Parts: sequence; structure tokens; C-alpha cells
Amino acid sequence: MKDFTYVLPKDAAEAARAAAAPNCALKGAGTDLVDRMKEGVTRPDTVVNLLTATDLRSPIREENGRIVMGGAITLAEVAESELIRKVAPGLADAAAEAATPQIRNRGTVAGNLCQRPRCWYFRNDTYACSKKGGETCYSIEGENKYHAIFENVTCNIVHPSNLAPILQVLGGTLHVVTAKGTDVVPSDIAVKDFWVRPEEDISRENILVAGQVIREVSFPIPRGTTGSSYVETREKASFDWALTSCAAALTLEGGKIASASVVLSSVAPTPLQLEAVEKWLVGKAPSDALFREAGTKATDGATPMRDNAYKITLTAVVVRRALSAAAARATGGGK
Amino acid sequence: MGGHADEGKGSVSRRGFLKSAGVAAAATSLIDDAKKAMEPVGPAPAAAVRGETEIRFKLNGKETVAKVPPSMTLLELLRERLDMTGTKQVCDRGACGACTVHLDGRTVNSCLLLAMDATGRDVTTVEGLAVGDRLHPVQQGFVEEDAMQCGFCTPGMVMSCAALLAKNPAPTRAECAEGISGNICRCGTYLNIFRAMDRASALAKGGK
Ligand SMILES: Cc1cc2nc3c(=O)[nH]c(=O)nc-3n(C[C@H](O)[C@H](O)[C@H](O)COP(=O)(O)OP(=O)(O)OC[C@H]3O[C@@H](n4cnc5c(N)ncnc54)[C@H](O)[C@@H]3O)c2cc1C
Ligand code: FES
Ligand code: FES
Repeated sequence: MKDFTYVLPKDAAEAARAAAAPNCALKGAGTDLVDRMKEGVTRPDTVVNLLTATDLRSPIREENGRIVMGGAITLAEVAESELIRKVAPGLADAAAEAATPQIRNRGTVAGNLCQRPRCWYFRNDTYACSKKGGETCYSIEGENKYHAIFENVTCNIVHPSNLAPILQVLGGTLHVVTAKGTDVVPSDIAVKDFWVRPEEDISRENILVAGQVIREVSFPIPRGTTGSSYVETREKASFDWALTSCAAALTLEGGKIASASVVLSSVAPTPLQLEAVEKWLVGKAPSDALFREAGTKATDGATPMRDNAYKITLTAVVVRRALSAAAARATGGGK
Repeated sequence: MGGHADEGKGSVSRRGFLKSAGVAAAATSLIDDAKKAMEPVGPAPAAAVRGETEIRFKLNGKETVAKVPPSMTLLELLRERLDMTGTKQVCDRGACGACTVHLDGRTVNSCLLLAMDATGRDVTTVEGLAVGDRLHPVQQGFVEEDAMQCGFCTPGMVMSCAALLAKNPAPTRAECAEGISGNICRCGTYLNIFRAMDRASALAKGGK
């Protein structure tokens, strides 16, 4: 690993100002960044350590009808939070199913959302792939077992974050601070507006620019008639990123689906909101047959590559399971 | 958000800059600073370090002082500078668990932990489990149940098991499986590890 200047800010404002420096990387726990630095894929001159910024450690709490937490709250803290388990069990599940106990004990919420993709061409320094400024996306002709089956046009990464789809389904917000000269300005970004498609800018996966730090993350507490869930498939029971994943929230009224939010992940460069499926579900009574059909509809328009057509079946599976779990929680009055 | 494309000099702390620059330059800069201080300028930059830097932390109960560059991991510090080779390096990428240590009582991969991030924290390695000649119940369980073959995953496994036992004195099989789900054993000793955990649980309760 190349040596670097290590900045130890006392709060998000100091971190944002320091992060405006050229060739600088923000670091939460570093479970993604340190890996990339060892591979030589990311070679910052300056690293800003967000773990010393005390306001990023603000606890998981209820505030004005929302659940709010610091950006450096760990996945383990989310998974173990009784408050989150009670109001949004899908989020607790998503955190508990990510990675390994050791990674969850350190990996942060903001770092999870901003972790770079796992594409093996991107993460290998010897491939000058298009995401790293080269000419070619090697996954098009190469090994693409774990790559995208939707929106796979210019760069076939899949979004790797477990928390991304469920926070989007919950209507989450990222509370960001931005350095403008010596001023530091707060702003809010809806999770659904956070992602950048490769066609918009192939070099990044979200809209953050230099000098921006996620200080806190929040979401509105779902109503009593809403159930939320997160379901994924994996090759191994631990360690692996998901092959396919789905987060869902259903609100039931009078035995019918009053509103639905369904987001797929691990199958496209960004989390995918399934608007057509959501519209189709509204007004219908929840049933296994309905959710099975929704699973099939969710795969409409998939464009699998040589090695990843299996993801179509596994997409239908996670959609059906996520909808069933969300409906059960909604009827149980259980969120 | 990764590193930004253009190469450039990283931000250097005022202290670091004064240390590295010549006296004349420093003096000029001090005058500049003094001038600037009269004007309403922005807040002071965040603290920053570069190169070998002193850190203090607790290692197996002992106050420890070490010098590390910011790019050094805790695993490298332990093995290469503190002569504590019980903690193993296998993948060096958080993907096997061989390097597992406790940070404030929780398991972490020391290969992905920058040593500087252990500042002021409590680190326990496999060397810190036994009390004198008395093995930790998990270690004793591993010996009695022959829970290792090549032994390379063992220190990490033992650390995960010890953390689990501290939280849950009588874990079920499923809880044990979850407890070691961040550790891979190439030799496939998992069944014996589960037996070792049953044994450790009994020993910790004072059973025979
Ligand atoms: C073996 C293994 C298996 C894994 N499996 C999964 C899995 O199944 N599901 C899953 O979701 N993840 C998985 N992960 C990834 C892991 O969850 C992430 O690495 C972790 O959550 C990142 O958090 P961090 O604090 O370590 O981020 P860091 O490595 O510190 O940072 C990651 C990125 O986020 C940016 N960043 C961090 N904090 C902020 C902030 N506050 N504001 C703005 N930008 C910020 C950094 O600049 C960096 O680019 C796995 C990791 C490993 C090693
Ligand atoms: S050596 Fe750290 S996890 Fe493998
Ligand atoms: S005993 Fe050989 S890897 Fe576990």
C-alpha cells in the first residue's frame, strides 16, 4: 500500500473541508477502501479518517417520526438495534446478512452504501477497464457470472450494497455536508436519487463529489399497516455478496395492497425500482400466486450475458419471497 | 466515491509542514500565519499525520506504544514489529478470518484495520487468552476435541469462538455456526470445532 497523509478530523465539517484536497479518499472503517488500496486500484495521497468525526457516530434514535443514525454506525449496530428490528426488520435483516461478523463489527452504514463494485475486472489493477478510464468493459466478452442482467450496456457492474435497496424502499435520506471554501453546507439527498448509472458517468456509482461527507442517514418510521423486507440469494451462506436481492415494502388496507415499493439489487449497476410491478400490485389482494406472478414480471426485459442467465430465476425467487415476507409483516401489524 | 483523478500534494498539517520545512520557510510561514490570524479567516484544518507516527493502545491488557506509518495494518504491526505471530495472515483481504482479533471485545479482521485506528482501543490477540499456564476454555476445548488439522485457521477460529462464548455462555450449534461464519477452515474441521465449543461451554461453567 502506498503511503498517505492521514487526516483525523473531529467532525464531519472538518472532514468535508479536508476531503476537498486533490486525490483524497474518505475512509469509514476501511473494509472496502483498504482492500482497494492494497490492490493498487485506488491510490490516494490523503485519506480522511471519518472514525474520528464524533458526529458521524450519533446513535440510532427516533426523531420527529424518523429513525436517524450517524453515517459511521456499524452494520452490527444496525443488525442488533431493537428499535430498527421493531420498525424496519428488513433493514436489520439486510445488515445482518451482509458479509461476516468481523466485517459487520466494523463496516459503516455510509461506507456500505458507497462501497465500490466487486467486478473482478474493476478490482484488479492489471485490467484498465472502462470504469477505471480504459476503453473496454472486459465483462462483455469475459467472465460475467456475477455481473448485471439489467441495464448492462456500457459497464456491467452490479450494485454491491445490502443496505441500498432497503433504505430506498423505506424512503431513506442521506444527510450530507459539503465543503464550499471554508464554509460547510448541509443538504439532504433521497436515497433513490443517490445513484449514478454508468451511462451518466462511468467512473462513479453515486452523486457525491470531492468535499462531501454523509453525516447521517434517516428514514421515516413506516406506518403500522406497512411491512418491509429484504431477501437475498448467495452462493455461500456467509462471506459472499448477494447473487440477487430484493427489498420490498407493502401497505395493506382492507385486505388489499394500498401501496408497494419494490427494489431489486445485485442485478444492475444501480438499485432498480420496479415501478411497473408496483403499479400492477396496487389494489390486488396479497397471495402466493400474486407474488409468484410479480416475481416473473420483475424479470421482464432482462438481458442476461453468457454466464449469468441463472440470475433471472433467482430474481423471480427473491421478489416472491420479499413480497410474501412484507405482506406477512403488514398483516401481522408488524412493519 | 474513490480517489479523485488528478495527482497532487495531499493536504499537510500545519505541524507536519513546520517540521518538514526549513527554518527560514517556517519563519516566513509563521509570519504569514500571524498576519492571517488578524483577519477573519476560516477554521484551522483538521489534525493530520504522515510517516512513522506514535500510537498507544492496549494489547492483551498491556499499555503498548508503537510507531507506525498510516498505511500499516494492525496485522502487520503485530506480526512484523511486535513479534506477535499468533495472529495469521492468509488472504489479507477480509475474506478468510485467519487474522481475527478482538477490538474492544468484538471480532475484527486485523488485515483491514489500519494500526492507527487501534489508537486508544483494547486489542486482544490469541496470545492474550490464556491466563499464565491455564488455557482459555476455548483453547482447552480445541485441544481436547482435536479441532484442528493444519492449524492455520485456528487462532482466528479461537478468537471468534471466545467472542461468542463471552456473549453467549451456552451457544447452540446454529449459534456456533453463525459465530464462526467469518472464518474459513480449508481442512474442514468444523464438526470438531462445534464439539470444542460444547466442551468450552462446559469448562467455562466449571464442568468437567
Ligand atoms: C469478505 C467480505 C464480504 C462482504 N459481503 C458483503 C455483503 O454481502 N453485502 C454488503 O452489502 N457488503 C458486503 N461487504 C462489504 C462491506 O459491507 C463494506 O466493505 C463495508 O460496509 C464498508 O464500510 P466501511 O466503513 O468499511 O467503508 P470504507 O471502506 O471506509 O469506505 C467505502 C467507500 O465509502 C466511502 N465512504 C465511507 N464513509 C463515507 C461517508 N460517511 N460519506 C461519504 N463517503 C463515505 C469511502 O470514500 C469509500 O469509497 C463485504 C466485505 C467483505 C470484505
Ligand atoms: S487474513 Fe485477514 S481475513 Fe484473511
Ligand atoms: S485446520 Fe487447516 S485451515 Fe483450519
